[in-house]
Amino acid sequence: MNPYLLIVLLTSLGLGTALTLSSTHWLLAWLGLEVGTLAILPLMAQRHHPRATEAATKYFIVQATAAATLLFAAFNNAWLQGHSDIQHMSHPLFTSMITLALLLKLGLAPMHTWMPQVIQGVSLNTGLIVSTWQKIAPFILLLQIKQIHPPLLTIIGLASILIGGWGGLNQTQLRKILAYSSIAHLGWILLILQHSTALATYALLIYIFMTSATFITLKKCKATTINMLTTTWTKAPTITLVAPLMLLSLGGLPPLSGFAPKWFILQELTQLNFIPHASIAAMAALLSLSYYLRLSYSITLSLSPNNLPECLQWRVNYPISTPLSSALPAALALTLFLLPLTPSALTLII
Amino acid sequence: MSYLVCVLLFGLMVGSVGVASNRSPYFAAMGLVMVSGVGCGVLICFGGSFLPLVFFLIYLGGMMVVFAFSAALSAEPYPYGWGNRSVKMYVAAYVLGVGCAWKVLLGKWSGFWGGNLDESGELLVLRGDMMGVAAMHDVGGWMLVLGGLGLLLTLFVVLELVRGVSRGGLRTV
Repeated sequence: MNPYLLIVLLTSLGLGTALTLSSTHWLLAWLGLEVGTLAILPLMAQRHHPRATEAATKYFIVQATAAATLLFAAFNNAWLQGHSDIQHMSHPLFTSMITLALLLKLGLAPMHTWMPQVIQGVSLNTGLIVSTWQKIAPFILLLQIKQIHPPLLTIIGLASILIGGWGGLNQTQLRKILAYSSIAHLGWILLILQHSTALATYALLIYIFMTSATFITLKKCKATTINMLTTTWTKAPTITLVAPLMLLSLGGLPPLSGFAPKWFILQELTQLNFIPHASIAAMAALLSLSYYLRLSYSITLSLSPNNLPECLQWRVNYPISTPLSSALPAALALTLFLLPLTPSALTLII
Repeated sequence: MSYLVCVLLFGLMVGSVGVASNRSPYFAAMGLVMVSGVGCGVLICFGGSFLPLVFFLIYLGGMMVVFAFSAALSAEPYPYGWGNRSVKMYVAAYVLGVGCAWKVLLGKWSGFWGGNLDESGELLVLRGDMMGVAAMHDVGGWMLVLGGLGLLLTLFVVLELVRGVSRGGLRTV
């Protein structure tokens, strides 16, 4: 892609999120969301094969529908209330409508069906941007809306964790697995959103680190299916060593950093006496863990048949360098080693 | 006067149904022309002066013309008009929907007629919509700049999405 255009699009991506994060008026928030949606469309369609074009079209239609619903409900609320302040919305119907629009933007169940198709149709780097950066702006808007109908958030959160777990079980394409993983993680974030916004922010932050590390690792291995992961040991032995830990961090196992958000969310839910919610969420996390374990098995725990020349790729191509390679050590360190630092990490957010 | 508003709103409904039920952008655009003309009449009946002008000049004379050009670029040889069976099905469905809404809401909007465009309810020197436009340029200056930036970005995005003749998103351009 033309480098000038690439700079314009990436800057506009950042501008869109920055506009939404700094807004107190719904019109400016909507403007930021739309700028972010538009800026990523050429990045999604840049390969111009039909799958990418279809993914870009679906993404645009879904996000535009959500943004239109958001604008409609925001202006209706402004008409009834007299001001368009994000933090002082009071009408329950339009608050729910805005919440549903933002959840459609985030890709939560039952509005999740576009996520696997969109992330599958684009390249790994663009899928990384869609999975991580594009979640920040709607999430910040959700944080600021008070008095959301609590059963709405709880039901959608639990449904997302369950659907993210069950949906990823039958997949062999890695980008679809990561899409369902994204749905499940955002379900956890939504579950705790009404009780503790600090924990929701922390969970989103750890999710962004883990997902970035996973996408960059997959890009380095040039793997898009589970079968292609089996030759990782020939290409990058270090990644073969570290990748299971990264995937188990996504699954939420101690002593890795992915355990911290789940731990604190379950603790908060049990302290508030939401025992069924905590139990269902904890058991549904096992579904996601099973497909992370399947990926770890393919990468590290089994040695697939290979011919001799292919076993020595690491000698010829080392180090595999992609544009995001320099971010991988930082992302991996944050994915694996953040658990002992949790008290000081939480003070940054609380 | 309220009879005129009724007729204009009926025209609005007919035009909207025509827009929504069409698979071909040419006939949908004709429906949009009807909708904007009639909507402009509704706004005039409620006291607006600037917004109807904006409707005709900017919406019809600017955006609709550009849309007609770009629709002509991606021309299809046999567009679906209103005589087509599938389009007639859609028209029937939308008219049914409008009828249901009419039945449900009839009689609940009795205080609707005779309102003013700016809803302030007081006597003002300037019209409400003119004051709004002035405020948009005055205190809302930076929002206009951001809106213009967003539209410029849209231009770049669209140009990037459709370039490349056979390799781009639109094969004939």
